[in-house]
Amino acid sequence: MREKTMKLVVTFHTTAGAMAMEKLCRKEGIEGRIIPVPRCITSDCGMAWCAPLEARGDIERAVEGRDIDLAGYHEVMV
Amino acid sequence: MSKKINLLVVISGVAVGIAALVLTALGNPANMGFCIACFLRDIAGATKMHSAAVVQYVRPEIIGLVLGSFIMSVATREFRAKAGSSPATRFVIAMFVMIGALVFLGCPLRMVIRMGGGDLNAFVGLAGFAIGIIIGIFFLKKGFSLKRSYEVTKTEGGILPGVMVVLFGLFLAVPTIFAFSETGPGSKRAPVFVALIIALVIGALAQKSRLCMVGGMRDAIMFRDFNLLSGFAAIFVTILIGNVILGKFTGFSTYLQPIAHASQLWNLLGMTLVGWGSVLLGGCPLRQLILAGEGNGDSAVSVFGMIVGAAIAHNFKLAGAAASLSEDGVYSVGGIGTAGKVAVVIGFVVFAIISFMNIAKEEK
Repeated sequence: MREKTMKLVVTFHTTAGAMAMEKLCRKEGIEGRIIPVPRCITSDCGMAWCAPLEARGDIERAVEGRDIDLAGYHEVMV
Repeated sequence: MSKKINLLVVISGVAVGIAALVLTALGNPANMGFCIACFLRDIAGATKMHSAAVVQYVRPEIIGLVLGSFIMSVATREFRAKAGSSPATRFVIAMFVMIGALVFLGCPLRMVIRMGGGDLNAFVGLAGFAIGIIIGIFFLKKGFSLKRSYEVTKTEGGILPGVMVVLFGLFLAVPTIFAFSETGPGSKRAPVFVALIIALVIGALAQKSRLCMVGGMRDAIMFRDFNLLSGFAAIFVTILIGNVILGKFTGFSTYLQPIAHASQLWNLLGMTLVGWGSVLLGGCPLRQLILAGEGNGDSAVSVFGMIVGAAIAHNFKLAGAAASLSEDGVYSVGGIGTAGKVAVVIGFVVFAIISFMNIAKEEK
């Protein structure tokens, strides 16, 4: 069982956005994984990118100027 | 937080199972306490979109599910009116999801209810459903997308709840304008207001828990996350235990199961179509009702697509025929005719085209 800690959860308007983020983060060596969007964020049932809080800067730099339909950044217990 | 949600998913699953058992005991067809595909098909029949005399009734369960989700989402400020994610494509996908479901004789929810009733044909359907979901996941991983939705007016988001209110009002005020089955599954009905109230509760629970047959399997396969799948399992266990307690469980068999056929290839392929299409839509038929209730116009379009798909399935004789035993004791496994088989194949071709054509081009 993974212990819950405060994480950065990045949400997207589409599943393809989450997939594109996964590819981008793998390519850029940014830590994280795809998860189902936590219920505390939305009643939608898409996918999100879950990363350590300190990865936010790297993620923001990586997505800048790219066509990734990012919806928002959330800090939640995951 | 997450533990609470997990529990809520299980509670929702148990509630759906109990609701299905109660509705069946009160008059709904066997192993069909709840079935989104069957009940939308009944509504299509009641509104004279098809003329299959045995499956026509304004099912209060559908109305209750949508309105339960609507009320819960408004009460918890989660009602979000949005739409615009490839509505025409969703309409076509939903049509074929319904055709696949009616070939199998049930949506994913009824598949689980049938499994709990000891119907082994439904386990074949489950295998097909899983295959369809895996195909859908393959395309998701390739970058499949129907593009994003956008915020729209509250009126747009409230269309399906509004339609359901009007439908129910007409059903109560002028029932003579609708067609009602006198025999067959459409004639088997739980009392109107009991069905409505039960469905309102289930709709509200499903909105809070995000209960989804497709989402459960998708998350389990993609992320080893069994949260939503626990709801699926809870429905199965509840139905199984309930049937044993009520003395309705007679063991697992493919033989002469209620409103089911034993034409296994088409049980498998019908549900493969449902699984694949539901992944493309982002949720099973139940989930589409719930999402439409909380303001998702794209899901409302999907529900309309499923209703039209049901009408097509019966007007063109694509739906499965249940296994039967004639008066002189001859057993027929039932199944589908040539038109139904062709429709399933066309469905696969259509899904393949839609899946490939909607893969986002990779950035260089």
